[in-house]
Amino acid sequence: MNARREEYLLQPVSRAFIAATIIASVMLNILPWGRDIAIPDFVALVLVFWNIHQPRKVGIGIGFLLGLVMDVHLSATIGERALLYSIMSYFAWFLHRRVPWFRMGGQMVHVLPLFLGAQLVVVLVRMAAGAPLPGPSLFLQWISTTLLWPIADLLLLAPQRRAVQRDKKRSL
Amino acid sequence: MDRSPPPFFRQGPSANARIVFFGLLSIALMVADTRYSALDGLRTGIGNVLYPLQRVLLMPRDLATHGMGYFTELSRLREENVELKRVEALNAKALLQTEQLQNENRRLRELANARERALVRSVLAEVLYETRDPFTRKLIIDKGLQQQVAAGQPVIDARGLVGQVTRVFQFTSEVTLITDRSMTVPVMIQRTGMRSVAFGGAAPGRLELRYLASNADLREGDVLVTSGLDPLYPTGLPVGRVTRIDTGNDDDFARVVVAPAAEIQNNEMLVVLQVDTSAVPPAPPVEAVEPGRRRARRGVAQ
Repeated sequence: MNARREEYLLQPVSRAFIAATIIASVMLNILPWGRDIAIPDFVALVLVFWNIHQPRKVGIGIGFLLGLVMDVHLSATIGERALLYSIMSYFAWFLHRRVPWFRMGGQMVHVLPLFLGAQLVVVLVRMAAGAPLPGPSLFLQWISTTLLWPIADLLLLAPQRRAVQRDKKRSL
Repeated sequence: MDRSPPPFFRQGPSANARIVFFGLLSIALMVADTRYSALDGLRTGIGNVLYPLQRVLLMPRDLATHGMGYFTELSRLREENVELKRVEALNAKALLQTEQLQNENRRLRELANARERALVRSVLAEVLYETRDPFTRKLIIDKGLQQQVAAGQPVIDARGLVGQVTRVFQFTSEVTLITDRSMTVPVMIQRTGMRSVAFGGAAPGRLELRYLASNADLREGDVLVTSGLDPLYPTGLPVGRVTRIDTGNDDDFARVVVAPAAEIQNNEMLVVLQVDTSAVPPAPPVEAVEPGRRRARRGVAQ
């Protein structure tokens, strides 16, 4: 996989922006999507994104807390999403030096196994506790989540990609 | 004296340490929640904070459905009106008879010294959303502790039993559908009076009768109603209809698939029957999710 061609020197991120995007993702998850299979998990997407790009600001603890909130919303066993998001944050921490060097395709190839691996761990834990085998929809949603990765990259890094001094040749 | 690294390198505990800590904490929470239901306070707390947000976020959908509804309303209402009039006419006779039958029933019960069955209070509830947890089948409705909804109360729609309230929050409650794997309903075959227990089925959106002898008197199309053998479900609520009977497998039991009578998947309005749940004996403390199957298997082997 090639290194990506264009490179930006990013401005420092603001904590308020990270917080706002995380809250927005929680709201997107709370929207009544119904039970249709491949609804992406926006919280996981934003969480993993910030874990990769700002590992010192967003870490495993934040993943854990977000998981608790989503557990209550989904009326699931408390701790299930908390575990899922913690593991995702952990995997993201492993990949955080590597992933940003790849272009979009390469990044997505990294992120999908990250999602699926974390989900697999949680499924195994639940099955060890006696839960039945879940359907394939559980894993399909991570494919749709991964497909949103380029959009997340575009939106979440946009404030950092702004030029310090605007000039006519650059669009942003 | 100070040998710690400069602040630039200080990152707190390592990621390995953190994942071990939070992973174990999550698992401990899961165990505490499933086995001992010790976390209801935490759940209620987060739930109450989340509740206004949930309601606000449901508004766009409700506005959209209402806006769309406005245009289709007229013709649909007219059709509905015709249909309702027809049904009313059909029901009138039954209603009149019901009153008479109730009187008769009461007299007979008094005669037989039977326990007077109190009429059940009920509350109309709206479905807020379906949960996305793929392990379970649950709905969230908009009535909670404020309306004296209690865990264990049955939930019905116009056609039959939908599920059971399993968790109550301040303003909302969680309804587990009868098609959920963890649910069991005591039922009776209406035609023969044979009693059984309907389990949330292996097939999605279906129920199942297990451990019926292969030669049991059962036909496709038989209607199942609640048997009233437990203190929760009132007698005679329609539960479902037998759609398939499979006697050809190697163990001695028939596998009976039942389609639920209620419109489980797309309900908007439900009725919570506020039966008195205090008469229910507390659940046995520690049992895995699906103990019924295993225990029964063992029973057969002995």
